[in-house]
Amino acid sequence: MKTKTLQKHSYTLMLLGLMAVVLLFFTVLKGGMLWKGDVWLGIAMQFPEYGVVTLGLMFCFICGKMDMSFMALGDFATIMAVQYMANHADAPAGGVILVGILIALGIAVVGGLINGLLVSELDIPPVMATISMQLVWTGLSVALTSGNTVKGLPALYTEIGHKYLFGFLPVPLLIFLVIFALCWFLLNHTVYGEKLYMVGTNIKAARFSAINTKRMVVGTYILCDVICCIGCLLMVNTMASAKADYGTSYVMRCILILVLAGVLPDGGMGKIGNVLIAIVTIQIIATGVNMFPNLNTYYASLIWGGLLIVVLILSTRVGEGGLFGLKLGGKKQLKA
Amino acid sequence: MSEYLLQMTGIDKRFGGVHALDHVNFAVRPGKVMCLAGENGCGKSTLVKIISGVYTRDEGEVMFEGQPITHITPAEATRLGIQVIYQDLSIFPNLTVMENLAINSEITANRRIVNRKRWEQTAKEALSKIGYDIDLYAKMGDLSVADKQLVAICRALLFNAKLIIMDEPTTALTKKEVDALFKTVRQLRDSGIAIMFISHKTEEIFEISDDVCIMRNGKNVFSGPTAELTKKDFTYYMTGRELEDDYFVPTNISKEPVLKVDRLTWNGKFRDVSFDLRKGEILGITGLLGSGRTELALALFGLGKINGGTISLNGQPVKITSPIDAQKKRIGYVPEDRLTEGLCLRQPIADNIMLSSLKQLTRVLGTLSHDELFEKSNEWVKKFSIATDDAHKHASTLSGGNQQKIVLSKWLNNDLDVLILNGPTVGVDIGAKQDIHALVHDLANQGLAVIIISDDLAEVVVNCNRVIVMKDGAIVGEMTGDRITEEHILEIIR
Repeated sequence: MKTKTLQKHSYTLMLLGLMAVVLLFFTVLKGGMLWKGDVWLGIAMQFPEYGVVTLGLMFCFICGKMDMSFMALGDFATIMAVQYMANHADAPAGGVILVGILIALGIAVVGGLINGLLVSELDIPPVMATISMQLVWTGLSVALTSGNTVKGLPALYTEIGHKYLFGFLPVPLLIFLVIFALCWFLLNHTVYGEKLYMVGTNIKAARFSAINTKRMVVGTYILCDVICCIGCLLMVNTMASAKADYGTSYVMRCILILVLAGVLPDGGMGKIGNVLIAIVTIQIIATGVNMFPNLNTYYASLIWGGLLIVVLILSTRVGEGGLFGLKLGGKKQLKA
Repeated sequence: MSEYLLQMTGIDKRFGGVHALDHVNFAVRPGKVMCLAGENGCGKSTLVKIISGVYTRDEGEVMFEGQPITHITPAEATRLGIQVIYQDLSIFPNLTVMENLAINSEITANRRIVNRKRWEQTAKEALSKIGYDIDLYAKMGDLSVADKQLVAICRALLFNAKLIIMDEPTTALTKKEVDALFKTVRQLRDSGIAIMFISHKTEEIFEISDDVCIMRNGKNVFSGPTAELTKKDFTYYMTGRELEDDYFVPTNISKEPVLKVDRLTWNGKFRDVSFDLRKGEILGITGLLGSGRTELALALFGLGKINGGTISLNGQPVKITSPIDAQKKRIGYVPEDRLTEGLCLRQPIADNIMLSSLKQLTRVLGTLSHDELFEKSNEWVKKFSIATDDAHKHASTLSGGNQQKIVLSKWLNNDLDVLILNGPTVGVDIGAKQDIHALVHDLANQGLAVIIISDDLAEVVVNCNRVIVMKDGAIVGEMTGDRITEEHILEIIR
């Protein structure tokens, strides 16, 4: 019985092991620098924004679809929201912020709907459809802002975003945890979650089993893009502004996290708990790399791209039967 | 030099827990036609794949032209002169006949520049080997199955084939085309090439073969000259059953038809199809590949395009627009291709069983309890004795027969009036096949209206009280009761 439980969670254990290796690596290279309170506070402050985005994208991946437009769409939605808020600076801040958020989420719904319809109704390959939409959203953002940063956010917005609940829980982290809990519930305890895994595994068999697969795909794109947009609203909080390319650098990082967590875009696999571990691991790597002053940000793409390729190669190995001789996740790893 | 071209002794192969080949002995003589016969799932294709180097044997010896062969790879098999013509023919439908014929030798010769004249020469040479005449510039995809097959044979001959293996070549052919194919086969045989002919059709095997090897459940149960075998023995060896099959006896047929199809047409697929179906009946629909039988089923399940005619359920004309709609109208469909259309292989057995009846499990706010899902599906696991110790295991861990039971229970978990089964026992072993047939008989006698679509004539004859024969998209014959025989159906099909 005990070994069975171990086997069931072997992929999770491997991810925890990886996290330990990463911690050890930076501890050895940088000594105690990693183990300071404010470093960990920084980690807790930084990952929620793209962590939330990753949770959104996860739904698309489990559904066996791809979305490349989520960040461009999120950037556009937040630009519109910030512009609205800036234009109504004299009205009561609370109401303006609420309307601004609703505008952003509304745009995300529309973006998700377009993605979903392009993929399920018009049968355009998901990567093609969403890359095109990515260009459309970025194009709109750049055209509207001439590529400039949009400022003028009500002070209340960033104030709330930098508050600590009970004196220790940063609000962005709280938002991340709430969304994480909702996603966990959606995946593991609802009919939608059950259908999502089945549709992602074999959409044709699901259609032959009287599942409304088109509605599933459209709904999942909307859900994905709305959650991604919440992540982008957190990003606005960090930057105190919005810009056409704020999210761009996060696209590959989100995909990397999902693949590392065993949520492959083939669909139907992966556990949300593993996604959480992967998010934190990647943030530790990001923070660790930042401790090397001569590794400037120009290397970021190289590091994330390289890591993604390594993880992708490993994930195909795992699919063929066990990494390091263990019976591990990847293609064989499924939900509990 | 032995008298055999290819001799295999004690071939053993296991896939996980499945003993696919159990010490099979097998030999082919040059200049003879050898038939490899057996029902679906008996190990025929595994054996062929071992000969052609796709699979590696676990045990056993292979001798080719008297030389022991330790390790066969596909390239090695080609070099030895072994050519397999698979059912799908492995052709490039978008290229011309000439290109299809010449491409392999061009690649083998490692040429990088196209020389149309040389291609034409190669192609002509290939066609001349069996004196076959066809337009070299015709697109392969536009040819009939029979023509494609002959081109595939010509291509095989370019490699100085000594042994040509044909995997169920007659499945999609008309009688005339079969005759033409057999003429070619005899011609090849007389030129000294050994032919291995895979089939499960009694008539054909007796017509064409010199030797026969019959397999059942991974063992070879008979091998020797065809002349030593009577048709009755042959059936016995094939099925392992001396007794007559359990014929379906309808006991509970309703007066009024539950389903009535009137002059239904899907342009280019089938036209003017009319029939009715009563509760308690098992209606067989048979015909060759491409006769429109599958499309008819899809149309009844809301996945077709109806250009004309009507469907009525319980006397009311209805439009079925999607599988969801079909389910609402109490129609279930067990698809032809279990692996791609029937199952989510990488998901648990339990989740597959409940897939089309998740509504029953839906609780407040769209929540669902996985424990309840597991319990409900376990009822079906028990009821159909699905061979698994844990329904949390993936559907892919099961054999074909047990997988089919999953698909069946998925639909039977809904209240149905009509159940359409397309090729219900393809790739299912004999034991499970009988289970499934008995199950369907029970269901019909409990008042379900069943349609079985199958090209396995024996299956149709044993299980149906009425049979419709389709050809080129139209119904060409209907028979009931004692009039349903394999010979009668074949007569109509051809």
